[in-house]
Amino acid sequence: MSINADRTFFRDPWFVAGLSLSIFFAVMTLLGPELAPFDPRDISFTPISPPSARHLLGINDGGQDIFSELLFAVRNTASFGLLSGIIALALGIIVGLIAGWFRGLVDMILMRIADVLLAIPAIMILVLTAALFRPSPWILALILSGLMWPSISKAIRAQTLTLRESLHVRSATQIGASNFYIIRRHLLPEMFPLYLIGFAAKTRIAMFMEASLAFLGLLDPSRKSLGMMISYALKYYYMDIWWNWLLPPVVCLSLLIMAVTFLAISLEKVLDPRLKQSLGA
Amino acid sequence: MVSDPKRLLSRRLGLVISYGLAALAMIYLSYSLPHLLPGDFVTAMYSSSNVSLTADQEAQLRAYYTERPGFGHYLVNLITLDWGYSYAFLTPVSTLFFSALPWTLILLGTANVISMIIGFVSGVEAAWRRNSWLEKGMVGGMTVIEGIPEISTGVILLVVFALNLQWFPAAGAETAYADVSFWARLADICYHLSLPLATLVLAYFPGNFLLTRNSMMMVIKEPFVTTARAKGLPAWRVRYFHAARNALLPLVTRFGLRLAFMITGALVVETIFSYPGLGTLLFNAIQARDLPLIQAIVLVSSLMVLTTILGLEMVYRIIDPRIEHVY
Repeated sequence: MSINADRTFFRDPWFVAGLSLSIFFAVMTLLGPELAPFDPRDISFTPISPPSARHLLGINDGGQDIFSELLFAVRNTASFGLLSGIIALALGIIVGLIAGWFRGLVDMILMRIADVLLAIPAIMILVLTAALFRPSPWILALILSGLMWPSISKAIRAQTLTLRESLHVRSATQIGASNFYIIRRHLLPEMFPLYLIGFAAKTRIAMFMEASLAFLGLLDPSRKSLGMMISYALKYYYMDIWWNWLLPPVVCLSLLIMAVTFLAISLEKVLDPRLKQSLGA
Repeated sequence: MVSDPKRLLSRRLGLVISYGLAALAMIYLSYSLPHLLPGDFVTAMYSSSNVSLTADQEAQLRAYYTERPGFGHYLVNLITLDWGYSYAFLTPVSTLFFSALPWTLILLGTANVISMIIGFVSGVEAAWRRNSWLEKGMVGGMTVIEGIPEISTGVILLVVFALNLQWFPAAGAETAYADVSFWARLADICYHLSLPLATLVLAYFPGNFLLTRNSMMMVIKEPFVTTARAKGLPAWRVRYFHAARNALLPLVTRFGLRLAFMITGALVVETIFSYPGLGTLLFNAIQARDLPLIQAIVLVSSLMVLTTILGLEMVYRIIDPRIEHVY
């Protein structure tokens, strides 16, 4: 499982497309507040006006500048996805390594917990907590990552079980290296490809969940989100607003999720050794 | 190897136990969470209404609503379909739930069957023609469609086909108050189903396609496929009766894992098209802050997902005995 592959990556059009989209959205996320011409909560403009030179995408029903709204929405949706992706990955790595390396009772208990969590539909837990307590989106992102780690940790555990039988790990054990040393020096870096695949897959799910929750009206309405913008714009479908108000968040959301999907698919293709052969890449 | 029936049984038992625990965890969450809420129902309901309560009435109402049934009692109520009353619709929650459930099942069921068939057949054909332009184009197209979330597909289809072209209805599951024959009603239902169904099929089938194609690519290299071709069997027979049977398994085994995620899309799609299923009911309940209804929909639909996944696990262990070795 080595990454011999920066060249393979850049020859894959999906990787290039995913990467360019990600860079585009990263810029939008990081510089959003500076790029936004107005405060997205400023309600001092004429509601539902068409685009003009001053307001690139026009004004929404609440008298807010749609372009600024869009920048903040992309920022919120992307950071929700990234945060729960990162935490789910961290949990998945820790649990997978511990279960695979120590085996026995610890392994059994951790994997049974993973099975239980895998079976629970995450969206339902999120809907319930969001409807009852209206927590901040960060808490929801934490809960989501608490439900998403099992599939990552199962993959990592399986790989750890194979790796611990490999020659260099066995010799490290023979020399007398401590558990922690072997995990840190040998196991952790060697499974790097798995982390990328897991992270991309989970981030995609998390962004989709955030958009859905916001679309259903479960998130704080003063926090801009792509899903919420779509659901508000849809209420005015009978007016001629679909191209300047409805379309931008729809396109942004699709491109955002596409970026992560492309990266996930291309990483899986290039890094998963089983697929590499059959794809003849 | 593991052909020992005792070990098989214990593995299956372990599976049932972990799903049972998941179900219990869900039920317990749904039982205990509302009690952690700040504020109380009486204030929420009467503080802004025209009804003024005497101190005595208020105390009685408060005593009634803060009464906590035990967890056992809650379980009994759950099983006997006594899920309380909806604040917003003033109807028993179970009545609302069961009037919405069939529509969701129709929508999700047909979407899955159709997307599995299309995805499977196109995946097999694509793998058979590997490295051709057709195959490359198909994989590219499917990867792009896979990246578009249901919210976007749904909104685009709604705006284009229902609002601008007006070919399909924009909302509902059948024409209201239409008094027509059975067949006309069926046609009407299918007509209303078309847009939400198309959205879900577009969301599900690229995944099925890519999965089938990938596993088919591996199966095609196996010696038994070469043998079958060497025997001079027609190509379609080799494709479907020899190779594709083995490529079908991942499709079934992954279905259970994806089901929990698919629910999210179904909720949103139903809401976009105002399809009167559980998703729209949940949306309306959220808008009205109708807690008993939200709770019941969340709990019962998760339990249904759990049972479906458990059933699938059992079934595909029978279809593919190799699975037993994985765990």
